[in-house]
Amino acid sequence: MPLSSIDRLESALTDAGYLPDRGLSTALFVSLKIGKPLLLEGEAGVGKTEAAKAVASLLGARLIRLQCYEGLDVSQAVYEWNYARQLLHIRAAQDGTVDEAELFGSDFLIRRPLLEAVESEEPVVLLIDEIDRADEEFEAFLLETLSDFQITIPEIGTITAKRQPHVILTSNRMRELHDALKRRCLFHWIGHPALDREVEIVKMRVPEASARLAAQAAAFVAGLRELDLAKPPGLAETIDWTQALVALGTQELDSAVVEQTLGAVLKYHEDVLAVRDETLAGLVAQARAR
Amino acid sequence: MPASAVVRHVVTFARVLREAGLEVGPGRVADALRGLDAVELTRRDDVYWTLRSTLVSRREELETFDLAFQAWFLGAAVRPQLRLISGQVPPPGAPGLTPAPAAAQELDGGDREVGGYSADELLAHKDFGEMSHEEFERARKLIAAIATKRPRRRSRRLRATGKRGESLHLRGLVRASLATGGDPVHRAFRSRVLKPRKLLLILDVSGSMESYARALLLFLHAAQGSGRGVETFAFGTRLTRLTPDLASRDPETALALAARQVADWSGGTRIGFSLKAYNDGWGRRALTRGAVAVILSDGWEREDDALVGRETARLARQAFAVVWVNPLKGDPRYEPLAGGMRAALPHIDRFVTGHDVASLETLASLLGDIDRRHEA
Repeated sequence: MPLSSIDRLESALTDAGYLPDRGLSTALFVSLKIGKPLLLEGEAGVGKTEAAKAVASLLGARLIRLQCYEGLDVSQAVYEWNYARQLLHIRAAQDGTVDEAELFGSDFLIRRPLLEAVESEEPVVLLIDEIDRADEEFEAFLLETLSDFQITIPEIGTITAKRQPHVILTSNRMRELHDALKRRCLFHWIGHPALDREVEIVKMRVPEASARLAAQAAAFVAGLRELDLAKPPGLAETIDWTQALVALGTQELDSAVVEQTLGAVLKYHEDVLAVRDETLAGLVAQARAR
Repeated sequence: MPASAVVRHVVTFARVLREAGLEVGPGRVADALRGLDAVELTRRDDVYWTLRSTLVSRREELETFDLAFQAWFLGAAVRPQLRLISGQVPPPGAPGLTPAPAAAQELDGGDREVGGYSADELLAHKDFGEMSHEEFERARKLIAAIATKRPRRRSRRLRATGKRGESLHLRGLVRASLATGGDPVHRAFRSRVLKPRKLLLILDVSGSMESYARALLLFLHAAQGSGRGVETFAFGTRLTRLTPDLASRDPETALALAARQVADWSGGTRIGFSLKAYNDGWGRRALTRGAVAVILSDGWEREDDALVGRETARLARQAFAVVWVNPLKGDPRYEPLAGGMRAALPHIDRFVTGHDVASLETLASLLGDIDRRHEA
């Protein structure tokens, strides 16, 4: 049972391909144990979404993901009526034999992630991704859903969750979330991993890379984070980049190959300009010295 | 439930955190106790992480939490200096805001009604830099009354609008079609509604702006009061976020808090450096994206003109529009010769003045009307 202790959960996460630190394991463990949503915050690319996927996989639960964006509304997040089917149904039926109750029944309902999670009979991990992108109105709505796991559809009535889904929310801190929402959640801040852990993660995620390349790539990215960049690379960039290096048959970092592949790590033109010539050579030398 | 000793420990610890400014309600304490019940209490770091994930709700609180945890559970010898996060009491008389007892009072003669203009109308066109103490006191009431207009954006959300609108209201249409055998005879429509656009104000409070900074800060406070989605910053040699301080309804409290926050009031200017600090620290979190950004500064950079240009360009790439308010532009002879100003100009969408109450009114209505990026 992965949920009998923090150690067990930690090794189950590792088996699921996610290398957590003790803090994240504890936060996930407590959240699963006491049945409260967990809010994961951190810079982009530190593995917030991946953590939710790993939890779903180790629990054998279905992962339902709601990707938030500005303007997200109930018809995209909860449910929508299938209007085309409704109209066809009215036309196909004899005059006057269709009543409203039939028309707005569950046959004509399109289920979106939140409704799906509440209705599900099997265990579910509900990932509400990048909640900070959604509008504040949606946050208020979400608050209601998270507090009692029920959804009201005017034409049908209230649907209550048969089993409470495990909820993980992620936020990049584009804006501060409402206190009321935070009160409903446990909180964990994921920072950039320590160098040794990052090397381990890269080795795990890119098994084709040699141990030496993984260590050098992680050290190089760690060096980049020390610089004053518009967007310091996250763990996700280290992994992408190592994959690119492996695809090019790289055994060891050198200035030429780094220059060719830097686009996998740095996403702003200014940053690419800032990391050139001596800066780049210095970082490569530093990474190779490990 | 954990043993009563643990309960007592955690409850007291929560009180320590509350004193340090964290918002730790009974709900969080209950979570912490349930969490501790689930983990084994043998490993100190498990206890730490459990309490941290249940009692903390934002990143800024982590440092305070760590200090308190060390003091409380690990028995650090001295009770640490806990950094207060909220609930601060404003100091009486904050620097920079209480206008110097102006000797100009005697110059402020009988200008109540002159030539048919009311005193307020005259005052509206008087340069902030030339106002007496008493005039400024009257001007601040005028400023507080403006700046309520906000730039708007079309939301993605649709509202039912009856028989006209942008897109069909399908739920209404299906329901109406029941009566007509499935033929959509009666149509219902929905339209996008207008919502306030994000507004970002960055105020230069350096020495060269001294005569204007107080008045413009009042403008910032008025703008802050216009609703959600307003962010305010001030800078001299470094950047300070004013949003939480200016959020107070009472202008006196708000301004006192803000003034205490700004450490380098009337000092030197590092516009480029401060804009960079904004872009790095806040712009990256997409505070700027889609916002109307307003920079209130005379563009008098002391260090690096090129940096001002670069960072203004960065801001402009993310913002919906950039408005630069330069009080010096109130003088008809003004030419943007200051290096920083010249470097920033190519990246600015609107360049206006802000040297008197009337120009701030114009600014407020300009902000309300910005509906496209560049001036036609």
